[in-house]
Amino acid sequence: MMNVWKISLENIKSKPLYTFLSVFTLALSIALLLGIQQLKSSFKYQTENNLGGIDLVLGAKGSPLQLVLASILHMDDPTGNIKYSEAKKVAKNRMIKTAVPISYGDNFKGYRIVGTTNEFLFLYDAKISSGKGVDKSLDAVIGATVAEKLGLSVGDTFLSSHGLVENDIDVHDDKFTVVGILEPTYKVIDRLIVTKLESIWDVHAHHDHEEESHSEHNNDEKHGDHAEEHHADEHKDDEKHGDNAEEHHDHDEHKDHDHEEHNENREITSLLISFKTPRALLTLPRRINDQTNMQAALPKFELDKLYSYTGIGFKTITWIAYLILLISGMIIFISLYKMVKERSFDLALLRTFGASNFQLVKLVTYEGLMIVLSAFALGFGLIKILLHFLFQYMQTDYLKGVLQPLAFSEIVPTIVLVLIIIFASISVAIYPILKMKVSTILSNEK
Amino acid sequence: MIRTENLTFQYQSTSKEFKFPDINIDQNKDLLILGKSGIGKTTFLHLLAGLLKPQRGKVIIDYTETQLLSNAKLDKFRGQNIGLVFQKKHAIQSLTVYKNLQARLFFSGSKTSDSDIDSLLDQLEILDQKHQKVNELSEGQLQRLSIAMAVIHKPKILLADEPTSSLDDETCKIVIDLLKTQAQRTEANLIVITHDQRIKSFFQNQITL
Repeated sequence: MMNVWKISLENIKSKPLYTFLSVFTLALSIALLLGIQQLKSSFKYQTENNLGGIDLVLGAKGSPLQLVLASILHMDDPTGNIKYSEAKKVAKNRMIKTAVPISYGDNFKGYRIVGTTNEFLFLYDAKISSGKGVDKSLDAVIGATVAEKLGLSVGDTFLSSHGLVENDIDVHDDKFTVVGILEPTYKVIDRLIVTKLESIWDVHAHHDHEEESHSEHNNDEKHGDHAEEHHADEHKDDEKHGDNAEEHHDHDEHKDHDHEEHNENREITSLLISFKTPRALLTLPRRINDQTNMQAALPKFELDKLYSYTGIGFKTITWIAYLILLISGMIIFISLYKMVKERSFDLALLRTFGASNFQLVKLVTYEGLMIVLSAFALGFGLIKILLHFLFQYMQTDYLKGVLQPLAFSEIVPTIVLVLIIIFASISVAIYPILKMKVSTILSNEK
Repeated sequence: MIRTENLTFQYQSTSKEFKFPDINIDQNKDLLILGKSGIGKTTFLHLLAGLLKPQRGKVIIDYTETQLLSNAKLDKFRGQNIGLVFQKKHAIQSLTVYKNLQARLFFSGSKTSDSDIDSLLDQLEILDQKHQKVNELSEGQLQRLSIAMAVIHKPKILLADEPTSSLDDETCKIVIDLLKTQAQRTEANLIVITHDQRIKSFFQNQITL
C-alpha cells in the first residue's frame, strides 16, 4: 500500500544530491556539537574524579600546570625531583591531613610506574580484585586497564624501561613482580603500575651511580663499589638525624627502619597533599613557595586554568558547528522550498486526487524528518569516527580511557536545537502549501 | 450524472462576472463544451471539479451539492468521484508509473486490485512502462498515464481540460477515443472543455460558451 511516508521517501530518493548534502551537513554539525560536548564533559568528569581529594601538589619548581598534569593526571613529564626529607618536613604541618609521596622514572610498555605508599590507593578508592598489596621492593600492583591491555596477571614479571615513554633501549635489569590487580575505578589509576617508593630507588640505584657525578656524596671512592657507597650514605644520614630528634622519632615508627634511613637523601617526584582545613589554602602554598626551593601547585586552580585554555578551542569548534547547523537548515529549507515551488503543479495535482492540504504538509514534513533522522544516525556514527581519528592523531592512549558516554541530559539541548532549526526550515518551506490556490496553479501552468 | 444551476463566478482581482449555462447530463452521456480562450472555460471546469466554489448557483453530482461541502469533504469527494485530465501531461515526478497510480488511489481513498491496474495499463498500452519513472516516459506515454490517473479510481465524472490542443490530428483522435472508452468502461460522464474544433464530430452533446 502506498502512503505519505513512501511518497516522501521517493521524493528524497529522486534528489540524491540535495539529500546527501542536507544529511551530511546536518550530521556534521550534530557530530561536532555532541563530540565537543562529550570531550568537554569527559575531560571535566575525569579530571575532577582524579583529584581524589588532593588539595595541593608539592613538587620541584617549574610550571605548576605541568606539575599538576604529571602528578594528578599522569599525562605530562614531571617538573623534576624534590628531596623526600624536605617534602616530609612540609608534610608535618598540622593543617595537612594526608601526604602521599609519588616517584616517577620508569614505564612498562608506556604505562607509568609510580613509586608510592599504600595510601595512594585510598586516594582513588581503588580495591584489589586479585592478589594482594605491595609489601616489598619490586612488588607491583597494576591498574585494571594495564592488566587488560598487557594481559598481565598475578605472578607475572616484567622489566621496566627508563623514562616515561615506551622504549626498548633503556631497559633496567630489575624484575618487577605483579602481586595484585586493581578493580576498575574509571580513574587514572586504572592505567598505572603502582609500586613501593623503594622499587624506584632500587632500580635507579645502579643507574644514578653510573651516570651522575659523585659530588653529592662527597666521597672519593671509586664507583662500582656500591655496597660501600651505600654504607657511606647511611652513615651520613645518621649524622644528620642527630641534629633532628623529632624526625628521628618519626622514623622509629616504621618497621623498615633501615630503608627509611636510606630514604633521607632520596628523591621523590611530588607529594600529594590533602588539607584538614580549607584555611590551609591561604597560608600553606605561599609559605612553601617562599620558604622552600619547592613549589606548591593547586590542582583545582591549575585545571580550571587548563579548561579556560582548551575552552577557547572548544568554543571555536562549537561556533563552527552552529554555523554548519545553520547552513544545513538553509540547505534543507531550499531543498523543500524548491520542491514546493517547482513542483507546485504536482502538489496541486495531488489535491485533485483527493489529497488534503494537511496531507501535502505531511508530505513535505516527513521529507524533512527523514533527513533529520538519518542525520542523527550518521552524526552519532561520525562522532565515533572523528574521536577515533582525533586520538589516533594525538597518539595518546590516555584520552581514550577518559571518554565517557554522554549523559542523556547533555544530548537533549543539542537535539532540541537541531530540531528547532529544522522545523523552522520546514515551516517556512511548507508555507506556500497553506496559501496554495489549486485552481490558479492548474490553470496557469498549462 | 452532473447538473448545474445558475452558476456564476467572479475572480477577486477583476470586476468581470462569469455566468455559465446550466448543464444536465444523464449517466453514460458525454458533453463537449466549446469556447474561445478567455471565455472562462477552465473556470467552468474548475467549478464542476470543485476546485473553485461558485459565487452563486449549484453543482450537483450524483445528488450531492458540492458547493455546500466543507473544504476537507470536498477534497475527498473530488478524489473519489472526479477524474481530471489536463493539457499539461503530469504525474508525480519522483514516482514510477505504478506508484503514481497507487498514490492516486491512496489519496482518493479507493482501492483497486493490481490486476485492474495492469489491465488499465494494458488498455492504454503502457504496461511495459509500469516500473519506469515518469521522467523516462515519452510524451505519448505520459499522456496515457495522465488518462490512467484520471480513471483508475472509477470516477463518476471525467473532466478533460483542453486534452488535445497541442496534439497532431492522429494523436488527437486516439486521445479522444481513449477518453471515451475509459469513460464508458467506468460508467462516467465525460466532459471535455476545449477550443479545438477538430473534436466536434466525436460528441453528440455540445454547448458553446
